Amino acid sequence: MSHAWVNSVMPHLVLTAGLMVLLLVVAFRRSHALAMTSTFLILVVAGALIPHSLAAGSEEAFGLIRVDGYGQFFSGLFLLAAIVTVLISFRYLDQRASSCEEFYMLILTATLGAMVMAVASHFATLILGLEILSISLYAMICYPQEGRLPLEAATKYLVLSGVASTTMLFGMALIYAASGSLSFSALGQPVDNQSENYYWLGQGMLIVGLAFKLSLVPFHMWTPDVYQGAPAPVTGFIATVSKGAVFAALLRYAVMSDVLSNASIALGISIIAVGSMIVGNLLALLEKNIKRILAFSSIAHVGYLLIALLVVAALDDPEIARETMMVYLAGYFLMTLAAFGVISALSISASDQDTEQLADYRGLFWSHPVLAAVLTSAVLSLAGIPLTMGFIAKFYLFAAGVQGALWVLLWALVIGSAIGIYYYLRIVFTMTQSESTDGSVRANAIPVETIVTVGVLGAAVILFGVYPTPLIELVRGLIGAFGA
Amino acid sequence: MNFALSIPLEHVFVLAAALFCTGLTGVLVRRNVMFVLMSLEVMMNACGLAFVAAGARWAQADGQIMFMFILALAAAEVAVALGIVLQLSRRFDSLDVDSADEMHS
Repeated sequence: MSHAWVNSVMPHLVLTAGLMVLLLVVAFRRSHALAMTSTFLILVVAGALIPHSLAAGSEEAFGLIRVDGYGQFFSGLFLLAAIVTVLISFRYLDQRASSCEEFYMLILTATLGAMVMAVASHFATLILGLEILSISLYAMICYPQEGRLPLEAATKYLVLSGVASTTMLFGMALIYAASGSLSFSALGQPVDNQSENYYWLGQGMLIVGLAFKLSLVPFHMWTPDVYQGAPAPVTGFIATVSKGAVFAALLRYAVMSDVLSNASIALGISIIAVGSMIVGNLLALLEKNIKRILAFSSIAHVGYLLIALLVVAALDDPEIARETMMVYLAGYFLMTLAAFGVISALSISASDQDTEQLADYRGLFWSHPVLAAVLTSAVLSLAGIPLTMGFIAKFYLFAAGVQGALWVLLWALVIGSAIGIYYYLRIVFTMTQSESTDGSVRANAIPVETIVTVGVLGAAVILFGVYPTPLIELVRGLIGAFGA
Repeated sequence: MNFALSIPLEHVFVLAAALFCTGLTGVLVRRNVMFVLMSLEVMMNACGLAFVAAGARWAQADGQIMFMFILALAAAEVAVALGIVLQLSRRFDSLDVDSADEMHS
């Protein structure tokens, strides 16, 4: 083990050490503000060390992890999402739990798990990262002390996520039995005819498990309930970090193991993708709860993103797939965090449930113009309207799909987006309607740090939509200079 | 290689698959949340058995290491799960998973 290896995982090490420090700090002095500030600092320091870790060289350590530009880009995104979650959770939690300090440790462990997944190049690290992330999320979902919905959401997520993990593990065992390796790069072809059945059954189970985690149709049933029941800041974290981590790992796995060269696996993923795009958008039309609308919208977006995955097989050029995935997920992170940031801000002093009914958002343009503007930009971006980040992301996806000649998927993307515009615009339209009579939600003041956080996110969504060059250059630079 | 595993690989995998399906059926059919968690545990152990058998096929320690990973993961998951079960029984006055099904579109 060389010195360079330690440097390349420095962000992960800082996060782990920070976690221990936070544990000690809480043991000696319970203070919500102190815990929040230290978590914020730990996350910022870990983020600042990412360029340092890349400069240390991309090395495959013990065949377990591979620290490269691709993986560290996602690590940076997860840290950003964690910072946003910390900032918007502060006042929100203050109202809902008597001791909030442990929540920040859970954010740190969940982020660490996601960052491990982003660099995993071995089944052991993949499952370890995934479980560190998932187990932290169970506790984060049911953190508020009152109310039954968070608990219901946590129970559902616990059981379904457990089933998904075991399905993946069984698939991994079958692949290992057939190929004799647990490392992505050494996953050779099965050794003999009998092993062939094990191998493809294993790959199938692995993909089904991942589809569960990504809430793809037909494994999507848990998503709306978990999104609705979880506290709004946590929902934003699940929607971004948990999905992003699984996608980052899935693309790396697909590129390194070449699993998509099998026609039936590629066909299965295409069917899942088309199903997710259409079903996700159609079911969102029926909802009146904004968290559930965003849940179905996320199902559709994950379906769109599968196009980037299928480009790997269609083009035999992982670079395009990587670039598309990185740009799309960066955009998706910004707009989803902005949307859930606004929901959390409006829910700070809501009693039992979050401010999540569409009717609650009537007249928001007059009572909270900044929040309404941010939510509008986030929602328009999710719909893929030009001059927003979402348009650039969708354009990337479309261009990649055209190059790979994935026509059926592109038609589904167009139809899905067309359906989507209806329910996205309905949210914007509701905010312009005259205010409802009681107006209880509006009365409260929104804390400054929340306004600034969501304001920056909303501005970034528009800014990168108008001028995406810096982001695209960053992504290309990371892929080009630090390889994969 | 056969000295490491005198039982044919398929037999172990059939047993592991049977355990896995038993656990999955339990998760789907049982209504008491404690039994759901126990069924999940059965599924986890089915994966562990499959890994040990696969490791024995290649005469590598990797399969057994993965099994120890699975044990640790299962323990961590159960620790959090039991906390959730305690809260469930307190807030819903029941361990029936159907009682915790209030969210609908």
